[in-house]
This record gives sequence, C-alpha cells and structure tokens, in this order.
Amino acid sequence: MLFFKPLASVIIVLALVMLQGCAFSRGTLGEDIKSESVAAIKKATTTKDEVLSLLGAPDRLLQVNGRDVFQYYRYDAKVGSLLLILINFSRLSIKSDDLFVILNREGIVEDVILSKRTDGMEFRFWPFGE
Amino acid sequence: MKLPLPGLCPVLLSTVMCVTFLGCNVTRITLNTPLTQNNVAFIVPGQTTLADVITKLGTPDSITESYAGVVATYRFLDMKYSRINFGWLLKPFSPVDTDLIISRTGLGTDALELLCDSNWVVTHQSFLRHLSGSRFNPYPF
Repeated sequence: MLFFKPLASVIIVLALVMLQGCAFSRGTLGEDIKSESVAAIKKATTTKDEVLSLLGAPDRLLQVNGRDVFQYYRYDAKVGSLLLILINFSRLSIKSDDLFVILNREGIVEDVILSKRTDGMEFRFWPFGE
Repeated sequence: MKLPLPGLCPVLLSTVMCVTFLGCNVTRITLNTPLTQNNVAFIVPGQTTLADVITKLGTPDSITESYAGVVATYRFLDMKYSRINFGWLLKPFSPVDTDLIISRTGLGTDALELLCDSNWVVTHQSFLRHLSGSRFNPYPF
C-alpha cells in the first residue's frame, strides 16, 4: 500500500501535466428540418405546392413506385479532441436528419417519413468502445 | 520480481508510458450509427414493411427505384485511425524535428440495402460488405 499511494499520485500528476488542451468543432450541412412544418403536412390532404411553401424545394427529387418523393436532409458533425502532450484522442460523429415526403400521381401527400438522428448527438472524445 | 528500489517503480512506469505513447494519435470517425446483424434481425422478408423498418432504424439515407422494386439504403461508416511518431524520441537530443511515423486507417464503410415491392414490403435485405469491424492498429506492415 505504501508503494501504491505514491504511484497513484505520480499518475495523477502526470495526467494533469500532460493535459494540454481540448477542442470542440461542429459542422452542419443544410437547414434544420422544423418539426412544426412537418407536423403541418397532412396525409391525403396537403398538396405538393403546400409542401414546397412549407419546406422549400427538396434537396433531392426521386421517382419511386410511380410516385414523386421529396427528400430533405441535414447533416450535423461534431468533433471532440482531447490533446495531451504525448497522445491525442479525437472523435468525429456525423449524423443526418432525413425527411421523405411521398406524393401520389395527383400531387397529394401520401406519406411523410421523418427521422432526426442528430437529436441527442453529443461531443465525444473517447474513440474506443461504442 | 521485487525491484531493489520501490521508489523507482513510478519513474519506470511513467517512462514506459511515455516511450510507448510518444506522439500518438487515436482518431475515430463515425457516420450514422453502425448497424449489425442483431439490429436487423427483426426484418422478415415478405412480412416486414418499410414503415416497420423506419420505426426501428429511422429513415434510410436514400431511396431509389430498380426493376425489381424500391431499394432503401442505410449507409454508415466506422473509421479508425491510429498513428505513432517515434521521431519524438529524438526531440530532446536532435536540433531538427525528425519523424518516424507509422499509421494505419481502418475504413469500415458499409450499407444495409432493403429491396421492397410495390406495397413497401421488404422482400430482400443484405449488408453490402459484411464487415467484421476495423481495429485501432498503427502497425502498417
């Protein structure tokens, strides 16, 4: 035990001395998809023009199963870096929010699919584990 | 083995730590949440609909049409990079900055593809590359 205490102290002091700094960076691509605008879109009621006025032009226009699909997306990237004198740890997490609005041949909304993966995304330093 | 001088142990340990981790970088980049076979075990071809999948996994990154039906794709990336610069060992003794760097990047990119029929029922599902997962390993040889 007499040996352990000085060792622990040395390790703590070393860790404090080696801590050089940390860095946070963030990058986004696209506008935030507002939940209120998405909630205003009603299936079998809302028209293509109304979707365009609520959300603007889609980032991607697809034709699937004989239907038009408007895709809106937004990317969010967060970087956390722990800079030590001898070793640096960094982790970059990128996630996207995607909204698909499926329109039938008459231009009426058939389905709305939204998932916000960026909610709850945190800055992380530690690159190991999950 | 018992060391002759117990006070030497912390010094020895810290020296070993310093030498081992000199000039190290450990970086990880993840795009979306990597999916595994366990995450998609609930998908039963011919029964599960795309809506069921979206409820559990979120929206796909892309939806495209093929002759066989609609293809929904979930893309993800788990990149691991590690680097050691042994040139740091010479810094106290050398007037110039020398580098002896070894590094390695494991690019774990993959995608889950779902093929759906005209009623949005999943008929086939598969991962593109079946990755076993990259590791932090700076040794490039």
